[in-house]
This record gives sequence, C-alpha cells and structure tokens, in this order.
Amino acid sequence: MLTATRVRTPDVATAARSEHALEVRDLHITFPGGVQALRGVDLTVGRGEVVGLVGESGSGKTVLGLAALGLLPAKATVTGVAALAGIDMVAATDEVRRQARKLHAGAVFQDPMTSLNPTMRVGQQVAEAAGSLEAATVLLDRAGIPDPQRRLTQYPHELSGGLRQRVMIAMAIAGNPDLVVADEPTTALDVTVQAQILELFRELRDVTTSFVFVTHDLAVAREVADRIVVLYGGRVAEAGPTEEVLNAPQHPYTSALLHARLGRHSRRGEPLPTLPGEPPNPRQPADGCAFAARCAHVADACNEALPALEIVSPNRSIACVRRAQIGAHVTRLRAVEEWPPTPAYTSELALQMRNVTKGFGRGKARRVAVDGLDLDVRKGSCVALVGESGCGKTTTLRMAVGLERPDEGFVETGRGNPPQLVFQDAGASLTPWLRIGDLMEEPLRNAGVPAKERLSRVKDTLALVGLPETVADARGAELSGGQRQRVALARAVLIPPTLLACDEPISALDVSLAAVVLNLLGRLSRELGMAMLFVTHDLAAARFVSDEIAVMSAGVVVERGATEQVLAAPASDATRELLAAVPDFEAAR
Amino acid sequence: MAVADPVVLGAVAERPARVRRRLRMGAWELGGLVVLVLVSLIAIFAPLLAPHSTTQPVSAGPFAAPGHGSLLGTDDLGRDLLSRTLYGIRSTWLSALAVVGSGIVIGSIVGTVAAMVGGFVDTVLMRVTDLFLALPGPVLAIVAVVALGPSLPHTLLAVAVVWWPWYARIVRGEVRALLARPHVDAARLAGTSRFALARRHLLPGAVPAVLVTGSLDIGNLVLTLSGLSFLGLGAPPPTPELGAMTANGLTYLFGQPWVALVPACAVFVLAFAANLAGDGVRDLLDAV
Repeated sequence: MLTATRVRTPDVATAARSEHALEVRDLHITFPGGVQALRGVDLTVGRGEVVGLVGESGSGKTVLGLAALGLLPAKATVTGVAALAGIDMVAATDEVRRQARKLHAGAVFQDPMTSLNPTMRVGQQVAEAAGSLEAATVLLDRAGIPDPQRRLTQYPHELSGGLRQRVMIAMAIAGNPDLVVADEPTTALDVTVQAQILELFRELRDVTTSFVFVTHDLAVAREVADRIVVLYGGRVAEAGPTEEVLNAPQHPYTSALLHARLGRHSRRGEPLPTLPGEPPNPRQPADGCAFAARCAHVADACNEALPALEIVSPNRSIACVRRAQIGAHVTRLRAVEEWPPTPAYTSELALQMRNVTKGFGRGKARRVAVDGLDLDVRKGSCVALVGESGCGKTTTLRMAVGLERPDEGFVETGRGNPPQLVFQDAGASLTPWLRIGDLMEEPLRNAGVPAKERLSRVKDTLALVGLPETVADARGAELSGGQRQRVALARAVLIPPTLLACDEPISALDVSLAAVVLNLLGRLSRELGMAMLFVTHDLAAARFVSDEIAVMSAGVVVERGATEQVLAAPASDATRELLAAVPDFEAAR
Repeated sequence: MAVADPVVLGAVAERPARVRRRLRMGAWELGGLVVLVLVSLIAIFAPLLAPHSTTQPVSAGPFAAPGHGSLLGTDDLGRDLLSRTLYGIRSTWLSALAVVGSGIVIGSIVGTVAAMVGGFVDTVLMRVTDLFLALPGPVLAIVAVVALGPSLPHTLLAVAVVWWPWYARIVRGEVRALLARPHVDAARLAGTSRFALARRHLLPGAVPAVLVTGSLDIGNLVLTLSGLSFLGLGAPPPTPELGAMTANGLTYLFGQPWVALVPACAVFVLAFAANLAGDGVRDLLDAV
C-alpha cells in the first residue's frame, strides 16, 4: 500500500496542470434502492470560472458536487468520469482521492455548525487546512472576518452564523485549491448576512480558483455565477452564460423556473404561474425527457429517447429535442387557476395583540423575545410580519395562535373557529406514525363532528388542496415534499379558522413548489374568508401575499402600513436594511 | 393519477429495503431471537411439555443420571429435573416479563407526566425517581422477604420497585424531545386533549427506546431473579425455581453434577439469548 501511495502522490500533485478545474463526462450515479441521482451529466468548469449549479431538490445538484469532491458514499454505483484537476475521482483509490481533495479542492456546506468541529478553536481548525496559524490569520482576513487574531482563540459556537460560514470559506480557499464546491452556502443565513457572503464570493474570484456554486435560487446564482448549469431529473437541461440563460432561456424548464419565481412582476391578488404535475421520481425515471410530463411543448419525440445535450453556440448547450421548433419562443408559463375576489373591507378584527411581552428563561438568562408589541389583523386581510431572525416574529406568531401565553398584555382572536398554524417544516408537523386520514380526522373528532361526516369532510378538504383520497392511507414519510405541504395546509383549513398563521411556509421550498403553496394560500384565504398572519423574511413573498406589512425589530413592530407603501417608502432603518439585502432579480437585469 | 404515484411507489420501494435491513441483523442476534421465541413457548406450555410432576419422585429414583429413565436425570429427592427446569424457566421468564412490564407501565406514566407538566412537578417526580434508583434491589428483596415472608410475589414487588425508575427516565427524555417537535404543536392546535396528546402523539415515539431497553433488561432480570432465588429469596420449596435448584444441587456438585448444572445452564441460556435478542431488537429498530 505504501509504495502505491508514493508512486501516486506526485501524480496527484502535478495533475493540477490540466486545462479544467473540473471535467465531468457522462456521469451516472445510482444509490441502493434504485434512486438514480444522476443520469449522464456532462459539465466542464474552466480555471477561475464560477459555475452556478441550479436545480430543485432531487435534481442531483448536491450529488454532483459530492462526486466532484470524491465524497460519494461507497454504496453508490458510479460510472463515467468526474475529473478534479485532471484526477478522475470516480476511478481513483481512496488514498488518491484524499490527496486530490487536500491539494486541489475545498468545500463549503449549508450548515457551518455541523461542518466545523465544536471542540476545536477556530484557529486550530483553519491552521489544519492552512498549515500555520499565521496563514490562518491571513485567510480569515481574506474571508472578511474582522479582528482575525481574536477569532483564532474562539470556538465555533461563539461566532454568529455569518462568521462561521466565513470560517468555512476561509478553510475552503486555504492553499489556493483548483476547485471550491459551495453547496447552498447562504440558504441557512439571514438575507442581510446572505448578501454579505455573496459579496465575499464575488471578491474571492481569481484566476486560479474555480467555484461550483450549488443553489436552488436563481437570484443567488445570478449574483455570483459566470455560467449557469440547470439540472433537472439528474440531467443537464440547459447550460450557458448567466445573463444569456436567465434573459433568454431556451429550455422550457428554465423558462418555467424563471416565471414561477416570485418577483416584482408577480402581481398581488393574482395567482402565480405554476408548473403542472410533480417533480420526477428518481426511482422510476422517464425513458425520454424527464420534463416531458410537465412541458407545454411536449411532442411524441420527447418521450422516445433521452434528449442529448447539444451545443448551440460556443458557450451554450441545451437538451431539448424540440429546440428547433421552440426556438426563442418558449411559451410563458401561465397561471392555471382563478381566484375569487377578496372579501370586502371590514374593520372587524381577527386578531388583536396589545402591549404583549414575552420572555424566556429566568434571572440572568432571561431573554425578552417580544417587548410591548401591538398588532392587529382585520378579518379577511393578510398581514406580513417581516424581520431578521431573532427579532421575535415566531414568538409573536405562536402567541397569536395560542401556543404560547404572553407574560404581559393581551391577545384576542375574533369570533369564529380557533386560529391555525401552517408550519415551516410541513413534514415535521405530521405525526410520523399516524396515517394522514387519522391526523386529519383528529381536529374534527375533537370538535365533536360525527364519524360519518368526518370522512367526507376529510375527502373534501383533500380535494380542495388538490390531493387524491388515497393520500389519507399514507403516512407522512411516504409522501413527496409537495404532498406534505398540501396535507399540512389541508389540515389547517379543515375547520376554516378565523386566522391562519403561516410560519415561513415557503422558505424551505423549491421555486415551483413555493408558487404552488402561495397560490393555495391565496385561493383558500379568499374562498374561506380567512385572515392571514404571514411570517417571513422574504420581502418578495410578503409583497405578493399581504395587504399590510409589519416590520419587527428587537421584539417590537417598528413600522407598519400598506404593503406597497412600506416597500416603496420605508420609514425605518430596519425596513431599509431588509430591502437592501434582497438579492434583487429584476434590479440585476 | 400522476399525483398518487409517489404514495404507491414509496410503499413498494420500501418493502425490499426493509427485508434487507432485517437480514442485516447478525446471525447471533437472530439466533437469540429464535431462542427467545422458543423460551416464551416453553414458558407458556411448560405444563403440557413437562413429562412428570415437579414435586413427586419418579420411578428412576434419586440421583438418576441423565438418560437413565429420565431425560435430564433426577435430583436428590428423585424428582425429574427436566420437568422442574421447564417449570423453573416458566417462573423465571414470566417473572422477568412481569417486572419489565410493570416497569414500563409505571415508568411511562411517571416519565410522561414529568415531561409534559414540567416545572415543579417534573423536579419532584424526578427526585422521587432518583430516590428509588438509589435503593439496592437485592437488599430491598431481603427486607421484603423478612417482613412479608418468603414468596415469589414479595420478591418481584421488591425488584419492581427498584426497576421502574430507569423507564421513567428514558420515557421522560424521549417525550421531552418529542414535545419540541412541530407535530405536537400541530396536534395541540387541532384541539387534542392532553391525554390524547400523550397517547397518540408522544408515547408511540418513545416505544423504540423503551423496547430496546426492555429487551436488554430481560437478561438482567433473569440473572437478578435467579440470583435472589439462589440466595433463598424466591418462592419457598418445593416450588421449582432455577436459582434455588442450582443452590440445592451445589452439595452434590462433585458426585452428581447434573443436579446443579441443568438449572444453571438454563439460566445461562436464558440470559444469553435475552441479551442477544435485545441487541437484535435494537438493530431492527435502529434500521427503521
């Protein structure tokens, strides 16, 4: 073994002269259980290039990133080539892979807390990658960490989320690697922090290090990437220079993704365009184009064979057999549903919170989350509660629905059925061992609805959110992410509440699913005449759903007013900061 | 129905995976489970399986070696060892199950109440639990036997009193972790009562942890109960008990070793199989 290593090591070191930082050829990856994560991917990352790998969950983007680093689990079946700086990470031995990673690669993952060693000082960890504490200091400085000397002696838990991610980035760029894979590095961060980290990535670009930036967010990709590669169903749908792909998408999926996105073009009171159907099932991939089932341009040819990735111009390639016919005239995705008109204005309140204070802990450890807050929600209206994480949004929401009691002040909901909550993580809000039907009957049973009526009510409500009856027999884990979201919504509106509170219901969702959920919320609130309290840090979502915005900061509402007014002419610093941090898609155009 | 597909596919694809997980359990653990099932059957059907009375001498006479008119031989009073061992397994096994069962019931109630109510009640219940945890089981058993007279129920009572606190702690921990999950909030918003919340949304989540501990505990209990019986703290003679039979046979260990070894081996097999099976149950539940 030792001799093998000695022979190999120089190879690994000199291989860096290869032309590309990463070259992926016909890569197939299958996991046990028949999940085909990648189904023939070609991808090249040139020296110093930043490539945005965009796709929805299940598209294979993360797996592709791991394959480039040679970090796939041993049980995965891999064929094809994934050459990192000229070293094929598929065929190489573990030792070569390890060496290649050490010399040529860096990685940044979504959650820095799980990637950093909690028992080791930051300095030691970075020095492990950098070689010395001096080098570590330089790196931390380069990663934009203020006062790097002091940070060296701190532990990861003493740093904020943004600083931790900067530490991860510092470790990733140690030794000027050929390739850094960043997998959703800003998804777990606040908008304001996300903006700073994206800025850092732009600063770090240089001639020697290339970045593969994995993200589900087109706006984030636009901020950092030279080139965008769109993945769908484990294959590349479209690749090309960022501006070209986003301004003139040629693949119907790219176009759909762009139009389903919330943005300034989204009009309040009108449903968003959505993709029909469900994302492809990686266990049973289609014989032809994976997107065919949801595509407006579908023809017989689409289902016959896998579309090849054709190079259409020097930098641009598209995998669509109908490319010639579609040309530049991709059908714009349109909204398929219609909403009833909004309920008439009423001054009656669905929620009234007065001088509400809530703190957690006792004595010195006591932390006040909400500090003398006033908030009203009129019947049939929607109020968006926005603010940075830690400002007390969620606590306010929990008090509004009665899950927490205020220490001081009062919370009153209007007459009618008790308020309900749509959780951020719909899957986690379903009791794992109970069937969906069982879970949905529960509120009816508790309200004293007779058994016969319960079943039909459950069926009706499932139909209302567009789910078949059969879902009632499944458990949460057997459903797709989209189905779980719908079930969670159906359960909340089973007995139409006076107030529907939503806790970041779309922040963890893919673009196309987020549009579906927002549409459902919009339609249901109108049909059932519910008031909504919508907690979010996403101003685009707030603009789309709400009549009024309440901006929270440090436990109080610092600004409130009609949505358009607040966003057009923010009166407080907190609002201005939030607005400035949004990676604005339209503004960048 | 394109929408329904993932449900169906999910269920179908899960089946082979589960089968494989089951096979992944080691051969030893699987063997332990098989022995456990056999032991349970023996415990239930001992009256039917035993060829002779447990208290009356058989025709082979005292100290008959195994095979000579009696399959496993006879003891000093000419009683059939096979029959006595089968009954001994029955009493030890059922006693162990009873203690674990009572521990799970009492522990689940105390642990759930402590976790759900919290605050002062939690503190009091947990300190009481600690108090019981501090009592030494064998000593308590001696006290119980001295105070109440020698009988199996008295011994079991004493053991059960020191056994439940473990389950109370496990259930409390599991329930506290589950309470932080959104599904509990969702159930609360559905208007579910506290009792139904515990029964439907919390306790089922604690089942795996309790089951693993319980199955590993049975081996411990077999040893503890046999040990107490060995010391004369079980049912009074002539009731067949594995510990007491071994103790009785010690006198003849060098002349007629089978008298002591047959019940002793039964204890060994029971404890060993229970431990292996416990590991097997843990593997099974970990994988799911």
